[in-house]
Amino acid sequence: MIKKLAMIIDNDVCWGCDTCELACKQENNPPEGSRWIRVRTKGVQKINGKLKLTYSPAHCLQCSKPPCKEACAVNAISQRPDGIVLIDSEACIGCKDCIEACPFGVMQFNSEKGVAEKCHLCYHRIDRGERPACVDKCIGRCIYFGTIEELVANLGDKRWKFGSEGQ
Amino acid sequence: MDSIQPTNERVVRSTCRICHGGCGVLVHVKDGRVIRIEGDPESPISRGTLCPKGIASIQLVYHPDRLLYPLKREGAKGEGKWERISWDEAYDILTSKMNEYKQKYGAESIVLGYGTGRDNEAFIYRFANLLGSPNVLTAGHMCYGPRVSTSIITCGNLPVCDYEGNPKCIMVWGNNAIISNSDEYKGVYLSDALAKGAKLIVVDPRFTKLADRSDLWLQLRPGTDVVIALGMLHVIIEEELYDKEFVKNWVYGWKEFVERVREYPLKRVSEITWIPEEKIQEAARLFAKTKPACIQWGVAIEQSINCVDNNRILIALAAITGNLDAPGGMVFYVPPSTMNAGQFGLHRMLPPEQRKKRLGGDVFKLADAFAIINPKFVWDAILHEKPYPVKMVFLISSNPVITRANASMVYEALKKVDFLAVSDFFLTPTAELADLVMPAATWLEMDYVAEFWKRHGYVLARQKVIQIGECKSDHEMLNELGNRMGQKEHWWPTIHDALNAILAPSGLKFEEFVKRGFLQGKMEYRKYEKKGFSTPTGKVELYSTRMKEWGYDPLPQFREPPESPLSRPDLLKDYPYILITGMRPTAFFHSEHRQIPWLRELLPEPFVEIHPETAEKEGIKEGDWVAIESPRGKCFQRAKLTLGIDPRVIGAQHAWWFPEKDSPEHGWKDSNINLLTDNDPATCDPAMGATNLRVLLCRISPKKREA
Repeated sequence: MIKKLAMIIDNDVCWGCDTCELACKQENNPPEGSRWIRVRTKGVQKINGKLKLTYSPAHCLQCSKPPCKEACAVNAISQRPDGIVLIDSEACIGCKDCIEACPFGVMQFNSEKGVAEKCHLCYHRIDRGERPACVDKCIGRCIYFGTIEELVANLGDKRWKFGSEGQ
Repeated sequence: MDSIQPTNERVVRSTCRICHGGCGVLVHVKDGRVIRIEGDPESPISRGTLCPKGIASIQLVYHPDRLLYPLKREGAKGEGKWERISWDEAYDILTSKMNEYKQKYGAESIVLGYGTGRDNEAFIYRFANLLGSPNVLTAGHMCYGPRVSTSIITCGNLPVCDYEGNPKCIMVWGNNAIISNSDEYKGVYLSDALAKGAKLIVVDPRFTKLADRSDLWLQLRPGTDVVIALGMLHVIIEEELYDKEFVKNWVYGWKEFVERVREYPLKRVSEITWIPEEKIQEAARLFAKTKPACIQWGVAIEQSINCVDNNRILIALAAITGNLDAPGGMVFYVPPSTMNAGQFGLHRMLPPEQRKKRLGGDVFKLADAFAIINPKFVWDAILHEKPYPVKMVFLISSNPVITRANASMVYEALKKVDFLAVSDFFLTPTAELADLVMPAATWLEMDYVAEFWKRHGYVLARQKVIQIGECKSDHEMLNELGNRMGQKEHWWPTIHDALNAILAPSGLKFEEFVKRGFLQGKMEYRKYEKKGFSTPTGKVELYSTRMKEWGYDPLPQFREPPESPLSRPDLLKDYPYILITGMRPTAFFHSEHRQIPWLRELLPEPFVEIHPETAEKEGIKEGDWVAIESPRGKCFQRAKLTLGIDPRVIGAQHAWWFPEKDSPEHGWKDSNINLLTDNDPATCDPAMGATNLRVLLCRISPKKREA
């Protein structure tokens, strides 16, 4: 059976440097206004009397039962066996129903092409044995990519987390 | 690396220079065009990571507004009318102007200049020294220059945080090192050190992500850094947490230094700095007891009237805790065997009588010793011809209308100067005032021995990937110009010969160097045990013999910032807040990159940080355009309300202009915080001439609707 792929981000250590956003822009070239991964922040918060600043890069989570897929009236959204959710830009009619349906607000709209688009984990890179474009450039090394089993099994392990050069 | 990929892509290994530079990159090229920039996992500087600016270099290189060929002014100065000319004609104009002014007014009437530099510093100094001009206008009086010069007189070399030696405690001082720190090591080293569990102390008036990750955040009153350090030293000395062996053997002036420190008991320190006594105690103990420990210090402490003493006091902290040149502490990296930037700069070729004419040299003596000048003296020499006239300014990678204090004066001076030549990527508000503009090459368009002036122990290979228009690297331009100015015996037939000369001590030719990617010096710790410290006394001079010689206080001291609630209570009624300027965004490098779409999308407009209580008092809401005013001028930025700043402090961004707005002005006055800053020499550091950009008084109000 083909294993499901995922990308998760450790928000606690994200520096908010925006490198992932630009890595994605370069790789997938979405036009202005469309950001497939976006560093969100509520700014400095006071929590239990202490200041806290958190950056949370948001991107498509490749849901196991994607609400966007269900919402699409023209069947433009499909899911690969490895879990990656794809939008067929030829089939998309730009109705934005999927954008409404996404509970995480990560579905983007390409105003130049008039179609919906989003993070697809750089499947073209994955298919040639590489990792998504944002992963390796991350200064905080807080973006993890792998099969869901790998991610679950290794999250506490720093050697895995930071690679050989981090040691 | 220069390999053919299966897809017929060529991959060129190079070194980025979109900021102060140094990150290793793999540039993917297809059909003669750069299509992608990836991080180089083998880079000793960046370990495979990159930043938004580095990636967006593609959009810089191919930007439709790039200058592609030399331009000569047509019509009045600043009118925005240009005529395309050839490089030959540009060189002819430059040489004839320089010869004319040199003959009529002396070489000192020609000022060469760069901003933060495009790795061109050594070439510019070489050219100026051979020309006979002692006046090279840089940011060195208030950025990096003070670190280097103060370190050299105090302990012989610049101590750099030794991340490779695994520091267990890192004190980040006036530096948002992940977001922006381009000197020596990159943010990834700090990030990795923290991931491995290093303790973190952050000294910053703003609550940054570093402050969020820290064990201890010291939110100081802006401008009082030296007092915090004196307080920490007080604790360290009282509690005998210092390295007694080191102090006994390697510190000069300990007794006098301790007496100075005793003038700052914690109660006084706390009153001055706004930081509770116990926090300073805690910081002192954590820093002194955790070994090894290092200080990652930044430019914020340099842009101050206390510039030199801020630097001196941090060196003292590192030294007496035994962290100087110790693994994981603050070390002196050993450079690889190439020519160094000082040698290349040919400072010894400047005739002594010309050196004596350095603008402001008799005022700022530490700066003078390191061939650095304060910009105000150049503007005065243009506007008032005192002490002598400056007739020509040649700016190579510099936009002072936006980036230097008292922007109105800068604008006036550059508009008045007889001849202004500029080499840059775009027609900036500064270039718009020029008589002659040269199109500069970006880092992707040049071969170079990168970073041979830095003190991290490396030189890095930069490779030319493409040619854009008729753009030339600054190095190539100056090599050619030097040849044409009768300095032939000191320059080379081609730029490659120059690069080979820099590399000569290593025995490598440029082609071989490129294959290696970088050279690293062989590191050795605690070199002082064999050779002593390279200072007049051979020790770490906490009591500085050089400063004494020049007539300055040999011991670090605190000066109340010249425009603060304490020093100017008379201004408080009209200007009730402390203004700090220059917080760094990820998207831009000083005044650069605002025309690059991917970067501008990250930060379309400037913002000013205001505490919600202050905003409410002033009737300001999140996102409002706000007028920020000082006694000298005003500009507008958007309000960003944040709990991360003290209600008494306002934090504004610097270096904003709007390339998309009408030329020739490009909105240089709209959001330019340097309309508010001061460049009066009396407000600058007395030894270095560092401009105070970090503590001013201001008022804020909602911008009135245009009628």
